[in-house]
Amino acid sequence: MKVKLKVRRSDPEKAAVGYSQYTIDAPEHTTLLDALIQVREYEDGTLALRCSCRSAICGSCSMRVDGRARLACRAKIIALTRGDEEHEVTVEPMGNMPVIKDLVVDMESFWSKIRQVDPYLQPEGPEPEGEYRVPNESMIDLTHTMNCIMCGACVSDCTVLEVDKNFIAPAALAKAYRFAADPRDGHSHERLEKLSEYSGIWDCTRCNMCVEVCPKGVAPMDRILQLREMAIEEKISGNSGVRHTNIFTKSITDGGRLNEVWMVPGSVGIFNIPRMMKEIPGALRMLRVGKLPVGQAIPPGAPGSHKMKGMDRVRNLVRKAATLKPSKPKVKSDD
Amino acid sequence: MAVYEHDVLVIGAGLAGMRAALAAQHLGADVAMVSKVHPVRSHSNAAQGGVNGPGIGEDGGPWEEHAYETTKASDYLGDQDAIEILAQEGGREVLQMEHWGVVFSRKADGTLATRRFGGMGKARTFFVGAITGQAMLHVLYEQLMRPSVYQAMRSYDEWFVTSLIMDGQQCRGCVAMNIRTGELHAVTAKATIIATGGLGRMYEPSTNALICTGDGIAMAYRAGAPIMDMEMVQIHPTTLKGSGVLITEGARGEGGYLLNKDGDRFMEKYAPNLMELASRDVVSRAEQTEIDEGRGVDGSVFLDMRHLGEQVIKEKLEEIYEIARDLVNVDITKELLPIRPGIHYAMGGIKTDSNGATVLPGLYSAGEAACVSVHGANRVGANSLLDTIVFGRRAAEHAVSWIKGQQFRPVPESVVDRDRKMICDILERPMNGDRVAKIRLDMGMTMNENVGIWRTPDKLEQQMSLLTQLRARYAKAGVEDKGKVFNTDLLFHIELGFMFDCAEMTVTSAIERKESRGAHTRLDFPNRDDENWLKHIMLTRQPDGSEKMSYLPVTITQWQPQERKY
Amino acid sequence: MTDLKYAFWPGCVSKGAAPELYVSTKRVAGMLGIELVELDQAACTGAGVIQEQNPELADALNARTFAMAQQLGLPLMNICSTCQGIESMVQDKLAKKPAYLEKINAILADEGLHYTPGLAIKNFLWILVEDFGLDRLRSMVKRPLAGMRIGPFYGCYILRPSEILGKDEHPDRDKYLEMVIDAVGATPVEYSGAKKCCGFPLLTINRENSLKQAGNHIHEAQDLGADALVSPCPLCHLNLDAQQPAAKAVTHYDIDLPIIHLPQMIGLALGVEPKELRLDRHVVSTKKLLAKLPAPAAVAVG
Repeated sequence: MKVKLKVRRSDPEKAAVGYSQYTIDAPEHTTLLDALIQVREYEDGTLALRCSCRSAICGSCSMRVDGRARLACRAKIIALTRGDEEHEVTVEPMGNMPVIKDLVVDMESFWSKIRQVDPYLQPEGPEPEGEYRVPNESMIDLTHTMNCIMCGACVSDCTVLEVDKNFIAPAALAKAYRFAADPRDGHSHERLEKLSEYSGIWDCTRCNMCVEVCPKGVAPMDRILQLREMAIEEKISGNSGVRHTNIFTKSITDGGRLNEVWMVPGSVGIFNIPRMMKEIPGALRMLRVGKLPVGQAIPPGAPGSHKMKGMDRVRNLVRKAATLKPSKPKVKSDD
Repeated sequence: MAVYEHDVLVIGAGLAGMRAALAAQHLGADVAMVSKVHPVRSHSNAAQGGVNGPGIGEDGGPWEEHAYETTKASDYLGDQDAIEILAQEGGREVLQMEHWGVVFSRKADGTLATRRFGGMGKARTFFVGAITGQAMLHVLYEQLMRPSVYQAMRSYDEWFVTSLIMDGQQCRGCVAMNIRTGELHAVTAKATIIATGGLGRMYEPSTNALICTGDGIAMAYRAGAPIMDMEMVQIHPTTLKGSGVLITEGARGEGGYLLNKDGDRFMEKYAPNLMELASRDVVSRAEQTEIDEGRGVDGSVFLDMRHLGEQVIKEKLEEIYEIARDLVNVDITKELLPIRPGIHYAMGGIKTDSNGATVLPGLYSAGEAACVSVHGANRVGANSLLDTIVFGRRAAEHAVSWIKGQQFRPVPESVVDRDRKMICDILERPMNGDRVAKIRLDMGMTMNENVGIWRTPDKLEQQMSLLTQLRARYAKAGVEDKGKVFNTDLLFHIELGFMFDCAEMTVTSAIERKESRGAHTRLDFPNRDDENWLKHIMLTRQPDGSEKMSYLPVTITQWQPQERKY
Repeated sequence: MTDLKYAFWPGCVSKGAAPELYVSTKRVAGMLGIELVELDQAACTGAGVIQEQNPELADALNARTFAMAQQLGLPLMNICSTCQGIESMVQDKLAKKPAYLEKINAILADEGLHYTPGLAIKNFLWILVEDFGLDRLRSMVKRPLAGMRIGPFYGCYILRPSEILGKDEHPDRDKYLEMVIDAVGATPVEYSGAKKCCGFPLLTINRENSLKQAGNHIHEAQDLGADALVSPCPLCHLNLDAQQPAAKAVTHYDIDLPIIHLPQMIGLALGVEPKELRLDRHVVSTKKLLAKLPAPAAVAVG
């Protein structure tokens, strides 16, 4: 099978940055990593990339492939090209991290964020004689997150990190979940408080990019949402994120549909005068073109607020849906 | 160049390396860890199925049972004093990993669950799905990220060690290249622990990662440390046909069958009691026999997991499900997985005592690079992880107490000169049409062919002369990349040099051992010969460059050699 | 040709801050012969927000909507990428958890409703390509938007996670916008932001990040010569259009790029007057874009 590659090159010892094109002959089921290794070994020894295990456990070979971060060892050429041998696969280094050479990036910012979430178990009290007794379900749940091989794909393509380099970003937040949700950990509340601060769990824009690119099914964004749910359960409030989800939910449980007018004041806090002032010009512009639904001017829950038809039935459902909540498994052992 | 000084230097940052570094740090030593890859990229990740936990509760079983099974699986070549330590201390060490956060699978009552592994009389293997090694490796790295450890310990990530610094017989650290800058530095220490893992890449294919190139073993050999049991290379029964990627023994531990092309569970013929869970050498030989006698398909037999059901597969063997789906397009819940025996693990390595110490003062070793020897002629599944954490810790503890009487002896900057010249020579050498990758491939393919499951004197001698020819080619091969930054071309060249040393030692030892024991099967000497060969083969490089072969009796404490039956 | 008929979930925003989407959808659907039966008593999908504190409620709300469509015996159409994503996620979850679904159905029984997994749920964009057909659309174009360079802006949830959004069955769903832009005679603009996040979910939480996201994408597309962006998602529209002046202030980019809804673009090509599509009801003026609009052809061929 013919394989055409277009690889982003850069070398700090040479000024030029550009692309190298390679065409090689490879077996039918070749992966992108096999192809790149073949290039490096027989076509161009100057090509730099990290790789080791070839089976998606060491996390070395993440790179951008046709614009999306993935593990080269898990990317089948035939799937990338959909069998079209003329399709040139574009290979670039990961995003959101500085490039050292060719496909090798500097992951220090990645690791410093991992360190930021206190990534080690902090049990309360003395260690037990034997093992901690904990439910298997919670261990299986955590194992899904421990599947993370720290490859950096989610960080590479995180859309928030693109605009805010301080965002703790998906990998570290998923790691944080792994401890916050570990029944052996004694600092879950403190962790959630810290994670609720600026640049933490509430700064995720829920774009699903990390879920899409994660090669190990860790689904970091889903872990972030679980952390949000845990933070709300722990009554950690006082940030716009919590207020936002509260006002949103209230808007639906009261009126059936979203009340956009109240989302901003409800989230930032109506008495947050400086922040509210920032919203006024925008609100006026929207009002001018008829985009502020004045029917929603009454806050959700107040008498006369905007309601959808058949709201009594929605309320019935809201009430009964409360019974669907699963009961939490017992998490602490007695030893 | 710079000269860095530490109390304890750990080379390699897999499980053995990190466990050693952590233990030394906990004891208050100034520790440095050097690794050619970031610690979590280490190959300990690849140990999927589990870790034995002798002595943990009822499931772990009495330590003596585990020690006996380890001894028996080793085909009585394992040193029983060391095996006893492994079994006695192993459980505590596994529990320590649990306390640090490893998410071991649990039973309904919340206690640790176990699965069965090959060569074991009962289920005593603790596990995290099919990612046990990865889960343990990442947890050790978590411990290294504790601010108290992280700030105190120097981790030279992506530094490539080129040689040990020797002061006469005493080891004083290593010369290493910062891969990012290409600069050579001396990292000196009162004690150096080699934990660089295995050498599988001298075979092609193998289950080993591209980084498993025997660096530490070769370096220790060059420094004059005895290297032991090098003929003992484990062949794993289940590696993926084609790429050679490992399929965990956990697949059989959970109840997977091995079938030949006729759909027969052929292990009935070879190990009627333990069947698929006989010792690895036994199962691999059985598979190869089936294939050789025409009952395989295209050089492979089949692993059948269909009857385990989707839930068991997704919960306990998810990783295998994914590998099969992604690499060979097989749905193991519905289809047979083609597998074959493949090179997997080095039982041999740097000869150490049960404290990880070599005969050279200041030089220690632990993990796959070392040979204590607890694995003898064949390692039991799930003992590799146990070996790393028990002997990684012990090596560090002994090193920390040993250095108390040691002073720093400054090393001259000139210690890097030899390696600098070696590198310059490689860089200046013109490309001659030959390639390092091709030489390695030729080495690997022929090693598999001639030094694999079945060994004969002809093939072994043939391989030795092949290695000589390949070495001549190697000496003339250049590299394309002449730069300093992240020059992987250069690193592969140096690594291939390490692999030559290891391969030659393996062939030399295999020629010498005129019997069949464990992983070493000589067709001309098909039986075990305890009278003549209940001993280790050691190779030591002499100061003049020549090689000395010597023998070391096996230590027997409780278990006299018996015939092995599974 | 078969008649296309759908249960229509308009979403909250088309009934609130983006009424032009509702109006243009109804108008264009009518012209295309797509019959819509509006679910006027369906509630919000939760948009992933209710899910943060009460996933069970969000599941029940969506199951209720699905059941309403099934009661009509019709597939469900939405006009919002976020609705599509949330609905697909819930659908996937309920299909995998039959016992849980049974509990939800017990609640829905109060209203005489029942949801059985397997409902077809499609955004208007998917319907255009997969059910209606681009050739058919092409044949109905009265006013090809030749000369217009339009950047696609998908909205996250219509793309990701692709696993539950029909990637296997319809591998080109991440190219549909470009295909539709091409079908109406305009030129699709390729830019890196097309599939990224508009920033809307962060607007009230981290305003600066949200506006930077919006501003960057607009700037990039404009820089590459786009005359407008088109989106199947009204939430993206809100952040890219209504917040564009604020995004300009935060990023300091000189941006001025009209953001139009997918049905508005179709409507223009079908010859509908811009005013009828409420293209005058945007924060960013569409005047410059509309100046490029050719007169409708007297007779459509085909």
